[in-house]
Amino acid sequence: MDPQAQRDRWLAAVAAAADPAALAEAENRLFGGKGEVAEFVRSVTSLPKEERPAFGKLANTIKQEVEAAVAARKEQFAAAAMARELEGAAFDPTEPGVRKPRGTMHPITIVQNELVDLFTSLGFQWQDGPEVESEFFNFDALNIPGDHPARESQDTFWLTDKNLLRTHTSPVQVRTLQRAVKQGFQPPLKVIVPGRVFRSETVDRTHEHTFYQMEGLVVDRAHGDSGISIANLIHTMKTCLRVVLERDVQVRLRPGFFPFVEPGFELDVNCPFCKGQGCAVCKQSGWIEILPCGMVHPNVLRAGGLDPEEFVGFAFGMGLQRVVMLRYGIDDIRQFMGGDQRFLAQFPEVSR
Amino acid sequence: MKISLRWLQRHVDLAGIEPKRILADLTMSTAEIDGLIRFGDGLEPLVIGHVRKREKHPDADKLSVCEVDLGKGGGVVQIVCGAPNVAAGQRVVVILPGDTLPASGGKGALKIKVGKIRGVESQGMICSEAELGLSNENDGILVLPADAPIGERFVDCFDVQDWVFEIDNKSVNHRPDLWGHYGFARELAAIYGRELKPACAPLPLPATGRRVDVVVEDKQACPRYCGLVVDGVVSGPSPHALRWQLAAVGQRSISLPVDVTNFVMLDLGQPMHAFDARHVGNGPVRVRRARNGESITTLDGVARKLNDQDLLVCADQKPEALAGVMGGAGTMVAADTTALFLESANFHASTIRRTSMRLGLRTDASARFEKAQDPANAELAVHLFLTELQRWCPTAKPAGPLVDPLGFKYAPKTVTLRRARLLLKLGVRLDDDKVESILRSLQFGVTTTKDGFDCVVPSFRATKDIAIEDDLIEEVGRMYRYDNIPERPLHGTSAPPPRNEELFLARRLVEVACLETGCSEVYNYSFTPDAVLQAVGAGGHAYVQVQNPVAPDVTRIRRHVLPSLLASAAANLRHAAEARLCEHGKGYHAEMRDEHKLPHEVRELALVFARRDGAHPFLELREAVGSLLERVGYPGVMQRVWHGSDQPWVHPSRAVAIDRDGSPCGYVACLHPGVARALDLPATTAIACLDVRALFVNGRKIARYVALPTFPTLPVDVALLVDEAVQVAAVAEFLRATGRKLVKDVRLFEAYRGDRLPAGKKSLNFTVTLGADDRTLTDEDEGKFLGKVRENAGQIGAELRG
Repeated sequence: MDPQAQRDRWLAAVAAAADPAALAEAENRLFGGKGEVAEFVRSVTSLPKEERPAFGKLANTIKQEVEAAVAARKEQFAAAAMARELEGAAFDPTEPGVRKPRGTMHPITIVQNELVDLFTSLGFQWQDGPEVESEFFNFDALNIPGDHPARESQDTFWLTDKNLLRTHTSPVQVRTLQRAVKQGFQPPLKVIVPGRVFRSETVDRTHEHTFYQMEGLVVDRAHGDSGISIANLIHTMKTCLRVVLERDVQVRLRPGFFPFVEPGFELDVNCPFCKGQGCAVCKQSGWIEILPCGMVHPNVLRAGGLDPEEFVGFAFGMGLQRVVMLRYGIDDIRQFMGGDQRFLAQFPEVSR
Repeated sequence: MKISLRWLQRHVDLAGIEPKRILADLTMSTAEIDGLIRFGDGLEPLVIGHVRKREKHPDADKLSVCEVDLGKGGGVVQIVCGAPNVAAGQRVVVILPGDTLPASGGKGALKIKVGKIRGVESQGMICSEAELGLSNENDGILVLPADAPIGERFVDCFDVQDWVFEIDNKSVNHRPDLWGHYGFARELAAIYGRELKPACAPLPLPATGRRVDVVVEDKQACPRYCGLVVDGVVSGPSPHALRWQLAAVGQRSISLPVDVTNFVMLDLGQPMHAFDARHVGNGPVRVRRARNGESITTLDGVARKLNDQDLLVCADQKPEALAGVMGGAGTMVAADTTALFLESANFHASTIRRTSMRLGLRTDASARFEKAQDPANAELAVHLFLTELQRWCPTAKPAGPLVDPLGFKYAPKTVTLRRARLLLKLGVRLDDDKVESILRSLQFGVTTTKDGFDCVVPSFRATKDIAIEDDLIEEVGRMYRYDNIPERPLHGTSAPPPRNEELFLARRLVEVACLETGCSEVYNYSFTPDAVLQAVGAGGHAYVQVQNPVAPDVTRIRRHVLPSLLASAAANLRHAAEARLCEHGKGYHAEMRDEHKLPHEVRELALVFARRDGAHPFLELREAVGSLLERVGYPGVMQRVWHGSDQPWVHPSRAVAIDRDGSPCGYVACLHPGVARALDLPATTAIACLDVRALFVNGRKIARYVALPTFPTLPVDVALLVDEAVQVAAVAEFLRATGRKLVKDVRLFEAYRGDRLPAGKKSLNFTVTLGADDRTLTDEDEGKFLGKVRENAGQIGAELRG
């Protein structure tokens, strides 16, 4: 057959392939093991020697031409396929995929971790203390002697072995100081102690007998330029609340009495619900009481083994539930200890 | 405690200062204020009227028809009135149709309309004190003095309207001087730089006359006791002004002498007791400890059993009052009382507090004494009492001398305030003048010295409040106002803080458990209810126990976290098909104690996978725990079957121990089916418990790099038929040992059990990945490996299939 006619037939066959499968079939017929094109090229061997170069050249040209046509046709199909793909007519972005079971951290854990990260970045160490505590560490060492009215206001859970469930995280102040002193005190000491505390209260929407606090303690030398003052306390607390509440908070410091600090303060933040205008949440005051704090009482430093003439410090105790409730708008404190997955699933975030 | 603005004004001029500002300033400098209330709010429309004529209602025995002249306030109107005491000639308070009577005493506001009562038109209402919200007095209408001006607004002619601050009592527990109006007046005088008037001018008292001797047997419990006989007393109801003043601060009016003692207490913070002098007789009045088993019936009618810690005030030996807490029944002033024995004493704070706590009897008096009142006030109170009583009852007079056997002389206490310490703690430098003026405004005596200030503490702050330099720093700070102190960052430190790795490990365990294994983190109480402990079979263990539990069946502190977590899982399965929970918490073992005699503490992470339907989640949980431990860098070995111990909720034969370097640090298990039944959990419940401290002791494991293969690896499938009892781990180990260095990985892809196998057998189908570091493996290597497996399989009772 005339090579040109062959060529035209092959090109027509490539052009006639209606889809990738037909093209693949045509390609196989032309270029496969005993394919027509291959045979055509190979047929050079049956020609007389002098005709071979010319035929070989022609055959190669034709072969390349057909190959190019196949490649172009493939490219056409690929382009058409991509165009269809990009059109996306049957695409439903709302169809659910396979979901792994999702776990969530407890909202108090989320906030506590953020606070730990913040305070460790400020050079605080994260410590812990026992929840079953001795009367000495919970009261006596904190300047709350046997007949002090603060003992009753704390509604202590007493244990049959004369110990108690700690009513605050403050006992860890003295424990930490004693340990530091034993190891050869190297000021400054900066420590936070988040943890579970207990007060014998009837549980309702706003009261719990088991709750979470975060204690903070900073102690440094009382002279040179390293002294610790109320000015530092205010700055530290503001920084902390800004991070946790994720807004630029206003705070106010007012007198508050706690036996283990002197002077003692209550720290309030401006009410997020009414922007300080006064509402039911803040009892019309525009402020929400968020943490008691103060300068460490000399007797507490003494109980920790330090001379209050030589050392000075501040301490604070933040109610974590309060902060968590403010942050997420939770209005029922019982949910924290309720263990209901439907509550817990509402806080899928990880600590930032 | 309620503090009245009108009352404060007796002591300090607060003109021109808004009540809201006072609230804010007291909050910032002195005490927490819970609220501000308008007393007598809404009484503006009330008009004073004159009852010109009163006739019986033609159709009702108990009603009167009155003609009331309201002058310019409304002319003459006809009012039907139901009060028994209404009479012609009275000056009364009237509300007219169209006006509204404010809500009071639980009743809503009442809009007055012209109406017919039993056919007679009534054009308004004559009001009682209760209707005005001025007292509980509901026996009849309020009758004003005869000179009350007709037609004028009631609120313009009588001091009824007031602003009342509600003080948060907790915030003044440390301030005995703030348990009365005078103390708050003193604070406000200091805050606003205004003059504080003396509480009362001393009255001359007779040197002789009727006296009742006082014997104080326990001077520690009663540091001072002033007694005075007052006669010429007319013991009727108090006049309106006193009644309303007391009502504004929530104090019920009883009778004139009693009201005056209450007035003094609410002014100075000094509780007093007025005995009918007949009860005390000739005395002596004896202050003594009660005898064990002695009893007294207090004036609330309750018989109180006493012990030798309680203090009594006796007429000689006969108990008349529980000192500092409450008077005895029948000793109080009666309608026919004309002579009083007035007690104005100082009692020891702890003694009063103990008695009041033990008897559950908290009174206004005990609340004040337990704060440690100033003994100087005992005498001052007597003078104030006489002054106020004589104001309303001019015939009353002291019948004899003040009997004050112990007396009181304040030995001034001086506390030094150093400038350097003030600066150190406040963090702001204050002028000497400023410091001095603050301290003086609070009535401290101040002498400036080289280093600072020597401060003489006034007696009313000396009982327990001001003792050390730091107390003075607080006085200066709060009056300067903490708000004025500029904030300043802590000094930087460059060394990272020491890490408590155990805490960080626990935190990572929780994070990974939640984020990777799909658990929700739960917090449970440390108390475990008896019912739950019974259900999990742990009722008999040794527990740390609460003396005063929230409920009788929750006395026990948990030893382990799992029991209450299982209860949480059961609760969640009531509304979900699956529960995946974890909890990080502490347990306490009562039988082991540390050097402070505290029980041994364990820190655990517990996990529960429970589902109503589908495959048992044990394997899933075991994989999850394995991956959890690897993620946190504390991988463990889980091969040893674990046979319970003190944790009876663990399935006795389906549990695997978690070991690290040979020491146990937890387990993964199927829940004991009996426990599952008892807690209404499905049998398809898997549990795990990690002992964080045990995990932690053997240290963190840092992953080691292994070079990637240079030559392609060769996967070989191996199926071995073994007895059910043979562990997958043992077979995998056999395959490793057989292929030696060439084995890069052994992975089970199927454990097949079925009809085509002999009974009691399973087929373990592995993919073994072979590879060498120096060449590409061939079919020959595969053949050799399979040959050795076939040859040696008998060693572990296995047979190579296919």
